[in-house]
Amino acid sequence: MKKTLGRIYVLLIMLFLYLPILTLIVLSFNDAKSMSVWTGFSLHWYAELFQSRLMMGAIVNTFSIAILAAIIATVVGTMAVIGMSAMKPRQENTLMAFNNIPMLNADIVTGIALMLFFLMVSWPRGYMSILFSHTTFCIPYVILSVRPRLNKNTDRLFEAALDLGASEKYAFRKIVIPELKPGIMTGFLLSFTMSVDDFIITYFTRGAGINTISTLIYSEVKIGIRPSLFALSTIIFVVALVVLITVNVHQSRADKALSAA
Amino acid sequence: MGELIRLEHIVKSFDDTMVLNGIDLSVAENEFVTLLGPSGCGKTTTLRIIGGFEKPDEGRVWFDGKDITDLPANQRLLNTVFQNYALFPHMTVGENIAFGLRVKNKPEQYIKDKIKYALKLVNLDGFQNRQIDQMSGGQQQRIAMARAIVNEPRVLLLDEPLGALDLKLRQEMQYELVRLKKELGITFLYITHDQEEALTMSDKVVVMNEGYIQQQGTPEQIYDEPVNAFVADFIGDSNIIDGTMIAEKVVRIDGKDYPCIDGTEQGFPPRSRVDVVIRPEDIDIVPYGQGQWNGTIISKLFIGVHYEMLVQSEDGKVEWLLQNYDQHDVGEKIGMKVDPENIQIMQKPKSEAESAIELDL
Repeated sequence: MKKTLGRIYVLLIMLFLYLPILTLIVLSFNDAKSMSVWTGFSLHWYAELFQSRLMMGAIVNTFSIAILAAIIATVVGTMAVIGMSAMKPRQENTLMAFNNIPMLNADIVTGIALMLFFLMVSWPRGYMSILFSHTTFCIPYVILSVRPRLNKNTDRLFEAALDLGASEKYAFRKIVIPELKPGIMTGFLLSFTMSVDDFIITYFTRGAGINTISTLIYSEVKIGIRPSLFALSTIIFVVALVVLITVNVHQSRADKALSAA
Repeated sequence: MGELIRLEHIVKSFDDTMVLNGIDLSVAENEFVTLLGPSGCGKTTTLRIIGGFEKPDEGRVWFDGKDITDLPANQRLLNTVFQNYALFPHMTVGENIAFGLRVKNKPEQYIKDKIKYALKLVNLDGFQNRQIDQMSGGQQQRIAMARAIVNEPRVLLLDEPLGALDLKLRQEMQYELVRLKKELGITFLYITHDQEEALTMSDKVVVMNEGYIQQQGTPEQIYDEPVNAFVADFIGDSNIIDGTMIAEKVVRIDGKDYPCIDGTEQGFPPRSRVDVVIRPEDIDIVPYGQGQWNGTIISKLFIGVHYEMLVQSEDGKVEWLLQNYDQHDVGEKIGMKVDPENIQIMQKPKSEAESAIELDL
């Protein structure tokens, strides 16, 4: 009895989580524009998606901004961590507190603040202003994920490398960077997802005539949503799913290889 | 044997805390020197100054006649085996060992031969393609040794290299280290808080506490003739008792007078107040009334080879620690006897720092 109840509970949760997405996927293959009547299987919303310059432009913007912002934030954040590690603990803790504030801050505040900043310095809003904003809000996440990797142990390894005759540069490149790598990767992926996901900050810092996927969907909703957006959402969902499965399979294989050895 | 390393009045403090209070130390070529002391005594800082990881506030470091105080760590002709080995986790065993040689751009064949030679030396033949996290603590310790010695340093600095190993392995590695040192023919500067390790392996033991060198000498000298209560207590168990020199070479302890071998010549004139050290194994148990003093056994503990007993003396208020191979019962009345040469007279601590040491005991 208890077991069945448990199963039903899990089933309900799954339903709530995935039924909406399933609806979306089904509708993206619907022949008609209707959101309630199934009139037959069709791929023409997908065709429309790839033919729409507006949508393709938004996709390119979204991912190019995400990749660039993630790269810049990762480099800047990692350098910041290395600089911070040389500070006295008190200074570093103060700085870490400042680093944490933007992450807790509401996106709407960050978005409006950035918009006002761009207006004040009369920086034209467009691709570059979005990129700048995304880089800014990604850096704290990179710092947060890289900082724990740089600890007493890394210091010891660095010293060991010096002891063996390595120059500081060589020791840094060959020993410290590989030690930080997992943190750097996490920071990069986190930045990338945060950037792709973002709507509010992008909405306030973009100019007229430039769209990312999220702002495009938002403006489409106002004039009536087209099923080609379902097609786009489906593609994004499937890509994310495939990436997730690949990473997990890879991870469990690596774990197995390690425990077998 | 020429002098290889000399420390000249090294002073070092961290954030207003004095860590080293003027260390003078000389290490000869091919010597096995151990810095021994409790944690926080400054031994690791001393090693880090020699290794080039810390700069002394005052004083100079000499290496083979040259002043290396300002020379960066990567240009010093010495290598360190770190406390937690500091092996590079993302490299294989072989790559770890090759690191120092790669830095110096040695030819690939030379590096290959060296890795093989070093692994053989530390009894890890054929392990070069293993990952570091697949190796046990003892094996990691050997890899750290191998990584250091392939660079043919003139001095090997060892920072508590056996600290993380279990007792059995530690004892094995002690023999191993002595063997390695013989085979390599280089100088070892070793750090430990384990007095047994220090006594077993070293040519010279340097006992440190609170940033001062308390005593240096051969293991026998340190054990048999500790200069103060700290050294006596840190090196093995001992009875440290207040005493007064009442005549030339006669000391009054526990209300009784004993002949001893130290006198005015050694700096202990009559009437001076002194500390007396008697090692627990130097006190012989004799039938009641036949020894120099009598007492009652108040506790007994069997610790492997011998029994350890606490004896309350009859005449005074002293509790004596005894170690004896024979079994005696608690409550038994016994006599005790000690030879004059086993009564070690020491100066009472004079400076404030030295008194502080005594309070810690």
